[in-house]
Amino acid sequence: MRFKRLDQARPFVTLAIIAAAWLIVPTVVKTFARASFFELTAPVAVAASRARDLQEYWGLRLHSEHELIEAGRDLARLTASYEFGVQQNSELRAEITRLESLLRLPSLPAYRYEHARVARRDFSGWWQRIVIRKGRNFGISVGAPVVFTGGVVGRVTEVHATTAVVELISSPNVRLAGAIEGDSRTVSFQGGINPTFGPPMGVVESLPLDVIVTPNAPKRLVTSAYGGVFPPGLTLGLVTRASGGSEGLFQTGDVKLDERLGSLTEVTVLVPVNKE
Amino acid sequence: MPSTDTNLADRSGQLVDLHTARDPRIVLFYFFIAVLLALLIGGLAYQQLVKVDAYADAARQQTQRRVFYPGPRGVIEDREGRLLVGNRAQFSVRLMLDQLRPELRREQIRIRNNYRATGDKDVPSRDQLSHLARVSVVQRYLNQVNALIGRNEQVDGRRLGRHFVRELLLPYTLIDDLSAAEYGRLWEGLPVNSPAQVYTMSAREYPYGSAAAHTLGYVGESDDVTPDDFPGEDLKTFRMKGTTGREGIEKRFEETLRGEAGGAIYRVDPAGNRISKPIEQVLPRQGKNLRLSLDIDLQIAAEVKLAETEMAGAAVVLDVLTGEVLVLASKPDYDLAKFSPRISAATWADAEERGAFFKRAIQGAYPPGSAFKILTTIAALRSGVITTGTTVNCPGFFVMGRKFACHDHAVHGEIGLRVAIEKSCNVYFYKSGFDMGPDTIAAEARRFHLDRPTGIELPDETRRMIIPSPEWKRERHKQGWAGGDTVQMAIGQGFVLVTPLQMACFAASVARNEVWTQPTLLHDPERPRQRTEPIGLKPEQRAALIQAMEDVTLTGTAKILTNGRLLPQIPGLRIAGKTGTAQKDAEGGKKINFAWFIGFAPAENPRIAMAIAIEGDTPGEETGGGRYAAPVAHAILKTWAEKQSRAAQGLVRFKSE
Repeated sequence: MRFKRLDQARPFVTLAIIAAAWLIVPTVVKTFARASFFELTAPVAVAASRARDLQEYWGLRLHSEHELIEAGRDLARLTASYEFGVQQNSELRAEITRLESLLRLPSLPAYRYEHARVARRDFSGWWQRIVIRKGRNFGISVGAPVVFTGGVVGRVTEVHATTAVVELISSPNVRLAGAIEGDSRTVSFQGGINPTFGPPMGVVESLPLDVIVTPNAPKRLVTSAYGGVFPPGLTLGLVTRASGGSEGLFQTGDVKLDERLGSLTEVTVLVPVNKE
Repeated sequence: MPSTDTNLADRSGQLVDLHTARDPRIVLFYFFIAVLLALLIGGLAYQQLVKVDAYADAARQQTQRRVFYPGPRGVIEDREGRLLVGNRAQFSVRLMLDQLRPELRREQIRIRNNYRATGDKDVPSRDQLSHLARVSVVQRYLNQVNALIGRNEQVDGRRLGRHFVRELLLPYTLIDDLSAAEYGRLWEGLPVNSPAQVYTMSAREYPYGSAAAHTLGYVGESDDVTPDDFPGEDLKTFRMKGTTGREGIEKRFEETLRGEAGGAIYRVDPAGNRISKPIEQVLPRQGKNLRLSLDIDLQIAAEVKLAETEMAGAAVVLDVLTGEVLVLASKPDYDLAKFSPRISAATWADAEERGAFFKRAIQGAYPPGSAFKILTTIAALRSGVITTGTTVNCPGFFVMGRKFACHDHAVHGEIGLRVAIEKSCNVYFYKSGFDMGPDTIAAEARRFHLDRPTGIELPDETRRMIIPSPEWKRERHKQGWAGGDTVQMAIGQGFVLVTPLQMACFAASVARNEVWTQPTLLHDPERPRQRTEPIGLKPEQRAALIQAMEDVTLTGTAKILTNGRLLPQIPGLRIAGKTGTAQKDAEGGKKINFAWFIGFAPAENPRIAMAIAIEGDTPGEETGGGRYAAPVAHAILKTWAEKQSRAAQGLVRFKSE
């Protein structure tokens, strides 16, 4: 009877032994185990993501030809406007190059754009991150900036063989040097504590006292060149409220981030071309 | 089969009986469970009802942090509202030392093991190991910062050691002069949970650099940053460093300028990140602003000209009617910008070597030389020893025990008061002084408050001024008064010592025909005209005195001011003044000169009065008041006249970036 009871307790004993063993395992082994676990489970996330893509594809196949024609027309209009934008960009780039050589300025950092599909979203009150379907295999490195059409998405924090983890700017672990659009003074941006299903928010500090912000007249917060990671001018969010900061020199404010951050399907990783 | 059914029914009945029966073991088990449940409920009640406050406090202490911020200091403006001292953002990177304990312990063990591994028997003591570990760990974090911003800063081991001993609870400042760009890079580059973090504080800003450095003074760090009646005394508290006035106006008006500290209580996550808006917050309040009486245009004009002499000196300019100080300049001085956020040891040593900390305008006690003859004249006229028509024969010397030479060894012949002042004839005043006696001169000087500090709103005004008298000499030097002492005193030599500020007050008093001018550095547009005791000269005596002083600037020793040869003329401005060239014994039996100019303008309706003093730097070299001090006065008067002209024309000057 006694042996039978001990036999029933076997799972608990095993668990206790494993827990005790884990405590004394060297950190290197733990790190390796964690990385291996991620690499092993990554194909599952990627496969699920691809299955979703496939599902979406077959879902789209069900649309009528009429809708396809309409979408094609919309796309053509969009393409035309983008082509115009591309022309303008090339003119501006030429002007920048001319000014750089005239003023003997060092060239602005150049980036290679790596588009990646989002494989998984992982949102909580403590962190907000996504897993993308590209990693070391596409030259992505830790710290690389990630953007989308609405502005900044976040920064790559972990890189694996075929995937990478991106910490969103709505996460409190992400801090960026920003600036109010049209103002060169640096302000400090940090992601806020965001509830899982709430609108993403951030916090801005070191906002000069002469910057007047109201919910009716918000100011656009963009990246500044000072941080050294993000190219300047990318949208971070809208500063909707500002009030006196604790040191009496600056204001502290709330930043409303793009709500699409929570439903991203595709992002662009900026990979530095001439990284020193 | 039926029998089987019957058996089953019987058995089931037995089983039911078995379960419904009061088995003692079950009862005991129930009792045991009940006791355990009671214990559990009791424990729960104890924890939830009795110890709730203790746990709430513990949770609060673990999840809340209190931060104190100093209030920004009030700004200092000149009389026209131009910013002399403001506030700017100071970016710094600091290290939270209390988060480094495990790292420090590991580093200490590592260093000790390294010593043992190399077979070194001379293993450092525990204190030395501890210090080495601190420097090593802090340098590691500093290297991270260096890598991000491209600097090569090194840990100052001595400062770090002092910090660990005295201010362990405060964050250690790694770099406190980050540029905005460096701040941005560190803000992005440093991990959120790193013990090294960037901070923004308020630091002093000096738009005019070294202008009025001695008057404005500077600030130093202060740990006294605690808001009144702020809750959460049991919480972990971080205090940002504040500032306190160390010199000049910053020190004298510390209570006014110092802001009120603010504080906030934040809820934090286990990594120390703020996770909410402040639970409790008191915003810091800026200190009160000060509007000084200084006119920065005149101040800069005076300082530029003083600097051109390449000698030490001082210039003081007063508003004749109100006593407000328009200029208070001393050279050499220091660049205030180098004091913010803190001065380096090298800059401090350099300033000390140049004598830049000596505030000559209020601390320099100099013999006034011939500028003192104005006082001797007043004393002589009031005592009746001379009249406006009294003449004296100047053979170029005066004998009083020994020969006392006249100014520049000149022979002036038979001259009256007006020429005596214009040409600065010593013999005229030797004789007048001797006839009056030292007590009369000293009494007159005391009427003009030349024997005491002026009481200007600055710390460290000297008390070393001397208006000698026979009694004073007996007490101080245990010697009797000699006739030579009297004649020396009559021309502002001998034992007489005054400060440039005192002489400026004297000039203003003479301009106003009163005996005392109280100087003030605070501007009040409603300040009434000062009124003190009249000097007591008859109208014709005063007219003669003013005329003689104007002659000094027209044809006398300060004609450089008006003749337009070396300096441009100042159209329409009549100036009354007196130069002085005092001497003091220097090494090698030679004498060193002090050049003076005191005066006021316009002579017919005085508005500003001034005193300029220049210290000669080469023994034996002639450093005359007309040559060295008068040009400084000219620069000030020219700037003043131009401003008056602009104001009269109603021109408005727009501030430009």
